[in-house]
Amino acid sequence: MIAAAVAMARRAWLVALILGCWQALSHWRVLDPLFFPAPTTLLATLAALTASGEIGHQVMCTLERTAVGFGLGVLWGTLASVILSLSAVLRRASEPLVAALYSTPRLTLLPMVMLVVGVNDFARVLLVALGTALLMMIQVSDAIRAVNKDYVDMAVNYGASRIMVIRKVYLPACLPQIFTALRLAFSRALVLTISVELLNSNDGLGSMILSAWQTFAIEKLYVSIALAGALGLVFQWLFHQLERRMAPWKDQAA
Amino acid sequence: MAVYNRKTVTRAGTVLRCAGLSLAYPTQGKCFLALNDVSFEVRRGEFVSVIGPSGCGKTSLLHVLAGLLPPTAGSVEPLDGEPGQAPGAALVFQENSLFPWMTVVENAAFGLEMRKVGKADRECRAAHMLDRFGLAGRERDYPRQLSTGMKQRVAVIRAFLSGAPALLMDEPFAALDRQTRMQAQRELMDLWESEHKTVVFVTHDVDEALLLSDRIVVLSASPGTVVSEFRVAMERPRAFLWEPDEEYLALKRRIFAALHLTSGLTRYACASS
Repeated sequence: MIAAAVAMARRAWLVALILGCWQALSHWRVLDPLFFPAPTTLLATLAALTASGEIGHQVMCTLERTAVGFGLGVLWGTLASVILSLSAVLRRASEPLVAALYSTPRLTLLPMVMLVVGVNDFARVLLVALGTALLMMIQVSDAIRAVNKDYVDMAVNYGASRIMVIRKVYLPACLPQIFTALRLAFSRALVLTISVELLNSNDGLGSMILSAWQTFAIEKLYVSIALAGALGLVFQWLFHQLERRMAPWKDQAA
Repeated sequence: MAVYNRKTVTRAGTVLRCAGLSLAYPTQGKCFLALNDVSFEVRRGEFVSVIGPSGCGKTSLLHVLAGLLPPTAGSVEPLDGEPGQAPGAALVFQENSLFPWMTVVENAAFGLEMRKVGKADRECRAAHMLDRFGLAGRERDYPRQLSTGMKQRVAVIRAFLSGAPALLMDEPFAALDRQTRMQAQRELMDLWESEHKTVVFVTHDVDEALLLSDRIVVLSASPGTVVSEFRVAMERPRAFLWEPDEEYLALKRRIFAALHLTSGLTRYACASS
């Protein structure tokens, strides 16, 4: 219990310090409260927006898009990496395509996607899925290629069939990196969703940020940005826990 | 532990014969000849060491014998499995010898698992062996929690449990310190004597080969080729490491001579090419 509190304190002290300074500086009017409202003011805004149900609605919209896009992207990306790892011909041919797509900011594809599927939620989710899929594909392909050939030889030597080699060697060997990829891909999906909403949407955190900015609702602006950060934090933590649980053989530093 | 009498073993069948084995593979655009015309036989229940300077293709030879690499020329005659046992040979690697994602007992029982032995049965047999070799209580640990010596012990246990009639060992004790190594050698002898397996053991340590083997095959360096063979007829258990006798010293001298001769030839070959 005490150990958990100490661990918590180790992570939280810097945030607390910044918030404390911020509070003090706005209290003594060093910071203009018009541009930098005090954290306590923001907390009140948060409470009001939560009570009115706006935050619940916007967060759910964002999470829904993120989840669907992430799910689709993980599925496509993993499938693609498995196919590419089976065919050297396809892998070589797809390399320039993947490299080009990877260095294109995903958001720039939004107009094109909307041109094809229409200006609707499917287009937004599709873009998120594309971004996630690309990251998963690159990460999982790397993981598959990095599997130590000794372990494959060892399994084959003990009479493992192809399916068994995949189940007993490739899958567990790739698992830690797959979970790292999932964690990265989820935060990528969240960022993409909010960005898409910022560009083109009537709801979600991104659209909330944009409308707060356009109506100069500074408190709402801060609250919605902080919420985006908090969502990222919570899901990073969740995926981290999952990662630890799924790969207990790995050395867990920190 | 009962000391097993070698003379009672049936030596009828040749369990492994490789004839005119050559292995070449491309490296950096050039063709590298790793093994050249390697021929030798291993009889059932025999312990044969393959010794040679580093880079003589010992590891490649074991991979060919295990069927993991196809030879460029020559043949390996199939290892005839004993009735009811899996055919083939179990390989013990020098490093990365255990799956990091499996617990000790899962690793030890892997060969049995591949032969579709039920979970309770195989883990019971593995646990029994682990217990016998001082690894009781470590069954649920992961390999990263073990010392190198313990890891190699588990790898050897897995090979013995796999049911393969022959074991191929690639310098399994090379990374161990001297005491751990002597302990591991003694345990290997115990296992070999009680389980009646055929062993091909690659090493670069002459004393290790003399301590363990019925026969020693000496390879030359790149390309690996058989220079000579020595029969080690000394009685077991062998204690010559602390009580050197004439027979041991004479044999050691001859093997050293063979190894020196080969390294001399290698130097000559490099200079002339």
